[in-house]
Amino acid sequence: MKELRETVKSLLTEGKVDLVIGWEKGTMPGASTPVFIDTAEKADSLIFDSTCRNNLSVYFTKDRRELAKDDKKIGVVVKGCDSRSLVLNITEKQIDREKVTIIGVPCNGVLDMKKVTGKVDGKEILEFTDDGERVTVKGREFEQTFPLDEVISDSCVTCVRRDAVEHDLFIGEAREPGSDENAYVEVEEFEKLDSGERWARMEQEYSACIRCYACRNVCPSCYCNVCFVDQNDPQWIGKSPEITDTMIFHIIRNLHVAGRCVECGACERACPMDIKLLLLNRKVAKEVRDRFGSVTGTGLENKPAMADFKEDENQDFIMG
Amino acid sequence: MIRIEKERIDEFIRTLMETRAVYAPALDGKNTMFAPVEDPAGIDHNIFNTDKSPKEIFFPHSEVLFEYEGEEIKKVERDVRPIVVWGLRGCDARSLRLLDKVFGSAWQKPGNDMFEDPYWKEKYDDAIIFGTACNEPRSTCFCNWFGSGPHDDAGMDVKVVDTEEAFILDPVSEKGKKFIGSLKGWAEATKKDLATIKAVREKAEGLMGEAFGMEGIAEKMADLFFKPVWDDIGAKCVNCGACAFICSTCHCFDVQDEGKKGKKGKRIRIWDTCMFPLFTKEASGHNPRDMSKDRLRQRFMHKFSYFISNYDEHLCTGCGRCVSVCPVNLDIRDVVRAVMTSEA
Amino acid sequence: MSEWEPKILAVLCNWCSYAGADLAGVSRMQYPPNIRVVRVPCSGRVDPLFILKGLQSGYDGVLVSGCHPGDCHYISGNYVARRRFAVLKPLLEFVGIEPDRVQFSWISAGEGERFAEVVSKVTEDIKKIGPAKRLVKGA
Repeated sequence: MKELRETVKSLLTEGKVDLVIGWEKGTMPGASTPVFIDTAEKADSLIFDSTCRNNLSVYFTKDRRELAKDDKKIGVVVKGCDSRSLVLNITEKQIDREKVTIIGVPCNGVLDMKKVTGKVDGKEILEFTDDGERVTVKGREFEQTFPLDEVISDSCVTCVRRDAVEHDLFIGEAREPGSDENAYVEVEEFEKLDSGERWARMEQEYSACIRCYACRNVCPSCYCNVCFVDQNDPQWIGKSPEITDTMIFHIIRNLHVAGRCVECGACERACPMDIKLLLLNRKVAKEVRDRFGSVTGTGLENKPAMADFKEDENQDFIMG
Repeated sequence: MIRIEKERIDEFIRTLMETRAVYAPALDGKNTMFAPVEDPAGIDHNIFNTDKSPKEIFFPHSEVLFEYEGEEIKKVERDVRPIVVWGLRGCDARSLRLLDKVFGSAWQKPGNDMFEDPYWKEKYDDAIIFGTACNEPRSTCFCNWFGSGPHDDAGMDVKVVDTEEAFILDPVSEKGKKFIGSLKGWAEATKKDLATIKAVREKAEGLMGEAFGMEGIAEKMADLFFKPVWDDIGAKCVNCGACAFICSTCHCFDVQDEGKKGKKGKRIRIWDTCMFPLFTKEASGHNPRDMSKDRLRQRFMHKFSYFISNYDEHLCTGCGRCVSVCPVNLDIRDVVRAVMTSEA
Repeated sequence: MSEWEPKILAVLCNWCSYAGADLAGVSRMQYPPNIRVVRVPCSGRVDPLFILKGLQSGYDGVLVSGCHPGDCHYISGNYVARRRFAVLKPLLEFVGIEPDRVQFSWISAGEGERFAEVVSKVTEDIKKIGPAKRLVKGA
């Protein structure tokens, strides 16, 4: 943490950046909140630990995309997944690589708060500490410590690129990516169910959706000026939380981020209804990997999969 | 005041169910919400604050107003039994009362009765609200900022206190008194119960954080409308509608027709929120609240400025739901603090 | 159920498959009358929303057809479309839409006979799985 703060301070005082996007302590135990640091003094509030759940690349592409267009030089603190979002946005010409300073931090996975509260039977947590390997929670009449690995988000459990794939500075030593051989076990399990059962499960999971679009809005890949659900002439889908409209929203959103999703899991963590959103994203990512040999956001020279093609490609799904 | 031993609570709920549609906290999938009770044994009396707010009992996310076919308009069949809500927390009971100021007519200023909402009134006016006092408020709770507290009974018809041994039912409104008076076969609350209530109340109030002074916030916010404080507050907002949709007092809606254009279909009313760009987008394509900070500001202006001018109350009850669901931890309490401490 | 006939949305590319359908027609070839044709400039124009919207509004199946690879009037429209469908089809199956409900084919302007065959095959397949229920509005 100290090294991160010092690094950011010197970047700001030396004028290498005008603004740094990072995280600071949030207002609840186990929460962090994004922070925009523009003076060296403010840098002391910066933190990085398992509570840093957001993908900060999102701030380059929402309606604040002027951030990316300004002449401002911007620094951003990134985990492995966040750096892949930046790479994607750079390859899509949303961010100018020259104007962004990427500060990598070593990530051991970020918290799934539902898992944490599950550990203490839903009792209220009043204090939270994380030493990088173990987390300790305290409440009114209890205190419990458990390994961080047991409470990290599902997306982090199978993550093989925990450290920034592209960075200008790294706090500590960046680890090499692992093998993604077993990354899609959950998807494969789901594929084994029969079609009716799969639909029934989807219906059950997605019927909780309240259409708040938090999943879309925290996603750095979702940056259309006008989202298709916000179009009203023609209006593509209904706005009520009926399962058909809800499913179409999620299916189409997944297709729109096909070959562009870095599986950071920010959508799933943002969902107020705790829907397992990432299963669909992972299915798409698996298809993209297996069919086109592409892993999103891993190289500045790679074209996003859906903007690319080869003439002789597997077309087994087309009628012979 | 009557006393219902814990073992007999299902029996009590069953008597309510004889003539009324009873709603109580329940777990549906992974989330808690107010749902119609089919079996009293399924009620969770210990749920702190449901994930989804109870406004949907009276103001559903999507409500069919009527159906049409050609020229003909058909009224929708509804469950006409009066509603009972069991297990509502004080903050939510007050939220419903605030919503009634908007949708009901009883609160309208004299001579101005044009805003009655029949869909709200037919459900809310006959409803009986059993509110459960909070014995263990959480760190996200801030009802005391609005002059309320964990044992406040405003907006309730009957206040229920859980004393570990029993539920003590204290009728607080005329409707509540009449209803409780009509019940037979239940014991009166004992002196010991009253002492316990006093003790749990004091304990609960002691658990609340310090209230933040909100005097003059309406004027203060109005003065700050064009000030850069909103840039600071709004910087991290990603402009989703999670806060508004789980909010117990946000009540904006959109009206749409679903079905074959002009031929056969239904007219529905659906939740909408000022956080969405489409909310204010005009036919010309111009959007007066174009940037996300404009929309964020609107949400807070409505809660702490406009609503006060219209109804003399804050449109927030401190339930803390938005605090816990905001994906970027943009805490409503921080917004209030930032506004109150900045220079106009 | 014996009278039930599926309604199938056929989205055809203007340059090949639509012309193929035309050829089938002028050659007086027989094929099932279950399809409702929508002509698009290129298979690359087919937004997955068209397909889902079709299913939502009550079509029992969707057929999308374009030019054979290498024959696209716009050089690469069908290649891009192919990638899109390559992800769309497994994703739809994944969420529980029956595999034969949505199908893709390449039919050239000269393949009138093939057009008739494809439509017959798709109609047969959809008759086998029965009326669409999942994703249908108001079902």
